[in-house]
Amino acid sequence: MMSKIELAPHIREIARVLEGKATEQEIERDLDNYLNVYRMSLEASRRHIVRKYGGDPADLSGGESRSLSQLGLNEGSVDVLVHVLSTTMREITVSGAPKTIQSGIVADETGATMAFTVWDLTKAELKSDTNYLIRYAYTREWNGRPELHLGNRVVVEERPSEEITVPEDISIPAIGGRSAPQVVKIGELRDGLNNIIVTGRILSLKSREVDTPSGRKTIHSGIIGDETGRVEYTAWEDFELMEDEVITISNGYVKGWKGIPRVSFGERAEITKLDIEFPSADELSGEVLRTIEEIERNGGAFDVTTRGTVVDIKKGTGLIFRCPECRRVVLKGVCQVHGKVQQVPDLRIRAVIDDGFASMTAVMRKEISEALTGITLKEALDEARETMDTETISQRFEEYLLAKPLVVRGTVMSDDYGLSMTVNEARFFKPDVRSEAEALLSKIEVI
Amino acid sequence: MIMREPAWRVFASEFNASTLEFKGEGEKDPAYVITPLGAMINRLFIVGILTDVQNLGSEQEPYWRATVSDGTDRFFIYAGRYSPEASNILSEIEPPSFVAVIGKSRTFVSDEGRFYISVRAENILTVDEHIKDNWLLETIRATLRRIDATEEAMQMEVPTIESLVNLGYPAVLAEGVVRAMEHYEEPDVNRFRGTVLEALEQLLPDRGFDLPAPRDMPISPDEIEDEDLDDGEQEEVILSLIDELDSDKKGAPLAELIKEATSRGINEDELEEISNSLLDKGLIYEPTIGRMKRI
Repeated sequence: MMSKIELAPHIREIARVLEGKATEQEIERDLDNYLNVYRMSLEASRRHIVRKYGGDPADLSGGESRSLSQLGLNEGSVDVLVHVLSTTMREITVSGAPKTIQSGIVADETGATMAFTVWDLTKAELKSDTNYLIRYAYTREWNGRPELHLGNRVVVEERPSEEITVPEDISIPAIGGRSAPQVVKIGELRDGLNNIIVTGRILSLKSREVDTPSGRKTIHSGIIGDETGRVEYTAWEDFELMEDEVITISNGYVKGWKGIPRVSFGERAEITKLDIEFPSADELSGEVLRTIEEIERNGGAFDVTTRGTVVDIKKGTGLIFRCPECRRVVLKGVCQVHGKVQQVPDLRIRAVIDDGFASMTAVMRKEISEALTGITLKEALDEARETMDTETISQRFEEYLLAKPLVVRGTVMSDDYGLSMTVNEARFFKPDVRSEAEALLSKIEVI
Repeated sequence: MIMREPAWRVFASEFNASTLEFKGEGEKDPAYVITPLGAMINRLFIVGILTDVQNLGSEQEPYWRATVSDGTDRFFIYAGRYSPEASNILSEIEPPSFVAVIGKSRTFVSDEGRFYISVRAENILTVDEHIKDNWLLETIRATLRRIDATEEAMQMEVPTIESLVNLGYPAVLAEGVVRAMEHYEEPDVNRFRGTVLEALEQLLPDRGFDLPAPRDMPISPDEIEDEDLDDGEQEEVILSLIDELDSDKKGAPLAELIKEATSRGINEDELEEISNSLLDKGLIYEPTIGRMKRI
């Protein structure tokens, strides 16, 4: 049953259309009657009341409950009456914590379909093949089309099956996939790609059990690779994947986290196990060299190697202190979350690496910082005690690193401030000047 | 996403040949110098020989001007109170030495409409020869890539950013090349092939260079006329004169150099041209005004 507060916007809307032909009290009483005594849908009730007092129900169409085809790309509050065609649960990471969301496809009486996502399962959980009146949802643009989002303000009401008749011949689109299938190499994957066909060798595999509304499920995740790169994957159904086998995923999609692509495939995907010539797991575990500009085009990358010159050293490089609880960097022994703490010393480098066409921040942990600069944490602490200052260590780090060419390997993500790599390996780059110069010369002489 | 401006790798001869500045409409949009080959420079990374440092400001508020030669031409580098780190380093550094400079491009148009171009240093530091060699390699590769992109664009009826990106060029370069094509019309790519060869010569000094056609091609017709003298030989003469006259190790006094050069058939104008060329190549520098010294 709908509460008074939920009805209020509809009462106002009907009163607006009736232009004083009825009072809000009359409308409220009628609406309550239609909805709760005669159990009519909200939409139908609204139309009946408007007609009863001599108004034009068409004027309501600009109101809240609309057909899917009328929805714009980024609307703040929309109400729709829909039939759920399909649903699926997904696990995502929000601020480092796993979270389960629901997504799927809804349709309405006009035959229009739309992808939806439920972000808060305590507010709503939609069942397949069921009708709902969804209120206070919002839309967001995705690949040029609106998608329906059910956030924490959403109010969902299950409606009887006879209320909506969805035309029979509508086709159910794949989740998020409205484009033609596209064959892509792993090195080309970037967030948002849909309906893709990817072939690769499974380099690692982990399984875990998750609870979903349709029962307990085994999902697999790990790393898959081809000659252009490696990427993490998640299989939302049990496809009986085996480590080291070569598979083709059809109708997979890429869901990124901060630009790091991840291939996902669920019940709509098809997995073909292949017995073909394919680079071995060993051959696929080496360095994948990409320019910073190429990484930028994809918005991020999983485990790549790139090269560039250190053109800037950022704050927070050198000797730093961390909170023992959360590893955050603390200032004067005070963690922004845990307050006064027994701070733990650490070494870190945050360097801007630039190859002349693009740049990124490279973040290097203690072991890598020590290896590159030759300054150990112990030495840094001793020196800081002597000078009563951590600044000299930062300066020495800068002297060692600035203007030096580096080769770095790691995973690159992007945020509002650009690309940032969490470095797993780093070394100074020393070109063979003579042979490279000869090679370049022959390139010009040919012309 | 706010992208940090990349630090372009360009040779001084390409940078100094620029006559185009571009700035977006927004107040905070960065300004770019666009070179004839389409480098769209807001920031650049330079390695070369610091040949001269002068304080144009005062003792209390120094404003440094330095020249850094990369072997193809000189970069003019400025550092003042807005870049205290670079300013401090310039006050201590003794030319000649290998330096790396990270800085922003600056332009100035005189009343007569002449376009002046320089670099405001963000950071500057001394480096070793390996860093210089690696910079030369990187800058050669980057220059060749710009030459390629420019030639591709020249073949297109209407060059567009999209069509260059589709050919695999970075979007920043594609945009720069399209803008350069509008402004410079037919960029003289062969001149910059010559620049690349000069840089390769530095990396392969003992290799006999069979300079192919581009290098012999005049930059503009009026430069052919006084080509009847052998530049190389004259440079050798001046270099040995500088050595000879540098008796006190503070550099050869210019007045004496002019006298000695004239007696060897090189007049004052020619001497100036030769010493400019030697300065550009980083073979000599001016320790103080009026003195020349070998590097």
